[in-house]
Amino acid sequence: MLKLIFSLSSCYKNYTSTLASKEKEFAQLIKDNQGLIIKVSRLYTNSLEDEEDLFQEIVLQLWRSYDSFKGNSKISTWMYRVALNTAITLFRKKAKSLPTNELDINHADFIEDDDEKQQQVSLLYTVIKTLPNVERAIVMMYLDDLPYKDIAENLGITEVNARVKMNRLKKTLKEKMEKYA
Amino acid sequence: MPEFDLDSFKKTWQEQPVQKKYDDNEILKMLNRKSRNYVKYIFWISVAEFLLFSVMGIFYFFQSEEDNGFLNILEKLGAQKTPQIESSFDNIYWILKVLSIIVTAYFVFKFYQNYRKIRIEENLKGLITRIITFKKTVNAFILISILLLVAFTSIFTIFIFYSLNAQNVEPKSSEMTIFVVGVIVTTAFSVLLIWLYYRLVYGIIMSKLDKNLKQLREIDSQEI
Repeated sequence: MLKLIFSLSSCYKNYTSTLASKEKEFAQLIKDNQGLIIKVSRLYTNSLEDEEDLFQEIVLQLWRSYDSFKGNSKISTWMYRVALNTAITLFRKKAKSLPTNELDINHADFIEDDDEKQQQVSLLYTVIKTLPNVERAIVMMYLDDLPYKDIAENLGITEVNARVKMNRLKKTLKEKMEKYA
Repeated sequence: MPEFDLDSFKKTWQEQPVQKKYDDNEILKMLNRKSRNYVKYIFWISVAEFLLFSVMGIFYFFQSEEDNGFLNILEKLGAQKTPQIESSFDNIYWILKVLSIIVTAYFVFKFYQNYRKIRIEENLKGLITRIITFKKTVNAFILISILLLVAFTSIFTIFIFYSLNAQNVEPKSSEMTIFVVGVIVTTAFSVLLIWLYYRLVYGIIMSKLDKNLKQLREIDSQEI
């Protein structure tokens, strides 16, 4: 009996230490790649509160799928998929957010930054947010230099169509950026 | 602003400073946070729907024959409870009960199977399609439950007419009218309530998913 208790307690200790090291490894991975999650969170929300909530939901979903990811795909592919899927499909906002169809240049995205380059980045965020969910994802992955093959695979569309859509989006974004600059 | 070119802007985008930095402790705390997501929401709504319809089925399953409304109606309309009628009624009732249990068991199995197939690391189109398929299992269950409800009512109504005819009983026209109107109104009202619920819940939850799926389909069907 004592032997059994000892063996169970040893199993539990092993389990908790493995879990702790796995959590540590995961936290490091998120820390190294949090820029990606922050960008997705900012692109799909309209308030700081929602942005933080979405960030946390993405981290949670990444954690839950961490075991199935290990070794099966590239970190970037897994992270983009989970982050975008969570933002577009899973995330339930607390309150109804403001519509983003109309461009609002007074939005916090735009006024917070002093640096000219960062002002442009902020304006680009505001402009991208006027696009439908899937188009936002295409633009973000394109800006992050993902190959069209990966963009298409992450969304479940064909590579040719991803390329054609992006070329059209470039024109749309150019017009909007120049109009609202 | 000089002419904007998205390609030459890539570097600036990639080098944008990250405003908030979460440390290890903050990230670890997030792992124990309660998830607020649509799939979880759909899952619990579906479980509630299953429970409700299954409980209704179980209620009929354990209802004793003496309490059964249809046999009582038959007596009120003037027919006698002969052993032949009771035996025919028992047979019909038993077949319908078994059918109802088989249908529920099949859908509980499909519901679980489709839920397990939802994987967050799948591509966006695949994920949306799986969530829609999962929800459709529950909707099919509700729809079949409505059909079974209508079918049960119709079969028992036909049985009542058949029994009255076999015993050469002609009920008073007022009693007959009350019976027919009662059956139609109750059935129509039940179907309407379930249909309204179906439209409301299905509409709210699925509109967001459908919108995103439509966007993906539009991209894949664009003219090149």
